[in-house]
Amino acid sequence: MIHLINVTKTFEPKTVALKNINLHIEPGEFISIVGQSGSGKTTIARLLIAEIRPDKGKIVVGGWNITGIKHRQIPLLRRQIGVVFQDFKLLPKKTVFENVAFALQVSGVPKSRINKIVPQVLKIVDLGDKLNRYPQQLSGGEKQRVAIARALIHRPKILLADEPTGNLDAINSKEIIDLLLKINEFGTTVVLVSHDKEIVNGLKKRVVTLENGEISQDQKVGKYVI
Amino acid sequence: MIIITIKRSLWFALQSFWRNIWLSLATIFIISLTFLSINFLVIINAISDSAITAVKNKIDVSIYFKQDIRESKVAEIKSHLETLTQVKEIVYISPDENLRVFKERRQDDQIIQEVLKELEGNPLSSTLIIKAKNLSDYPEILKAIDNPAYTDLIDKKSYDDHQTVIANINTITNNIKKGALVISLMFVIIAALIVFNTVRIAIFTHQQEIGIMKLVGATNGFIRSPFILENVFSGIMACLVAISVIYFILSLVQPHLANFFNGVDLNLIGYFNKNFIFVFGSQLLGIIVLNIISSSLALGKYLKV
Ligand SMILES: Nc1ncnc2c1ncn2[C@@H]1O[C@H](COP(=O)(O)OP(=O)(O)OP(=O)(O)O)[C@@H](O)[C@H]1O
Ligand SMILES: [Mg+2]
Repeated sequence: MIHLINVTKTFEPKTVALKNINLHIEPGEFISIVGQSGSGKTTIARLLIAEIRPDKGKIVVGGWNITGIKHRQIPLLRRQIGVVFQDFKLLPKKTVFENVAFALQVSGVPKSRINKIVPQVLKIVDLGDKLNRYPQQLSGGEKQRVAIARALIHRPKILLADEPTGNLDAINSKEIIDLLLKINEFGTTVVLVSHDKEIVNGLKKRVVTLENGEISQDQKVGKYVI
Repeated sequence: MIIITIKRSLWFALQSFWRNIWLSLATIFIISLTFLSINFLVIINAISDSAITAVKNKIDVSIYFKQDIRESKVAEIKSHLETLTQVKEIVYISPDENLRVFKERRQDDQIIQEVLKELEGNPLSSTLIIKAKNLSDYPEILKAIDNPAYTDLIDKKSYDDHQTVIANINTITNNIKKGALVISLMFVIIAALIVFNTVRIAIFTHQQEIGIMKLVGATNGFIRSPFILENVFSGIMACLVAISVIYFILSLVQPHLANFFNGVDLNLIGYFNKNFIFVFGSQLLGIIVLNIISSSLALGKYLKV
């Protein structure tokens, strides 16, 4: 599903964020990427959605070589990868429903279809009764669930979550992780970037550990060891 | 799909227009001024054109025949001259007609009236007034009149080409036009800068939204079109404002035009009515193109998509 082959990324003037990374993720996998701050986790995420390009190496997503992807094709790529961030990235002046519908509007989906599938997806994240709330009327966990709903609305093959629990307490974090596991069970490949030792250890899934831009460990049923 | 996208872009554009109403009004104001100064040019053009046409209409060649020439002879010459391709029309004025006009014109001149009374018969002769199709045709016509066969018949001929008057009109209007052109150009530049900045500010205030749009897979076109549409919308509004202002001013000025340009038939409202589509259509097109160019420049510069 995702292949990073000999990927190197340097930020000017001389920060080597990723050094010769080789990472292969199978369809349907649930993989956690862990590592200290500045180890290059977010850089991998940004490479996958073509926000930045590698200096060296090759990136293939869903059979599509996106290494030198054309500007015009980036939107197509992003509709295939759902993304979730620590800071939710919701629009404060739009309701829960509108925040999710927004993702469909930008790709020209008819209103009738939007009205049908947005409530469905919001039900999956257990927000079926809060369609008309504004983000500020939601808890952190609920906000992140809105963001997940938005990420899922295009039925992506990959869900990329960069520290989705970074701003949440333990209970809310657990809810979000359970939701990610549920999504993974439906067949979506989940890439979770996390700092949280307990969460990662509790998953009993594959863990890739980054150290200074290099993969130091890759365990099938991993533990957060740092 | 395309229609849905257009509809959504339009909706986003209108929303943004209302949310930044003061900025929108400032944009409309400046674009209106641009329109007005350009239309001032159009008006100057119309005035100088009709003034020159009026002067040109006054140009003719008059042939005054000797007194004893019979009317049939004059008619013969008239029909001969009419065969010239350069001639537009020839008016024949009989001695009686000439006398009547002369008397009328010198009504208040006691001496002349008395002299005329003393005289027996009509001291005046026939006249032919010849108008050419083009100004440049007169030399040809004058040459034809210089035919030796006519020299004995013709008392005198007069040709006043009004060249200096036309030259004066041209100089004056050209100077006004130059000034108006400079002003228009200035407004065009200001309008472009304002549009550029409007888009820039809009991008800054929508940065969060734009970032999320990009994240969820919005195309560049979809992100850009509301900004461009918003300014096209301002352009259309400004065009409407300018049209209203121009017609309002013209309706005030029109009644006084005839007095001011003594006798020159100058119907500016009619002129604008006749050329409405061309005049305003081309200006609207121009402002839309200007909007699209400066919006795209601003977007390209400040929106790394
Ligand atoms: N735009 C940038 N310009 C310069 N350096 C950058 C840029 N983005 C990231 N870096 C550097 O690249 C390295 C990796 O950054 P990255 O964001 O991938 O770390 P991270 O593992 O996500 O850290 P954290 O856990 O704090 O989010 C860091 O040293 C960072 O300072
Ligand atoms: Mg990070």
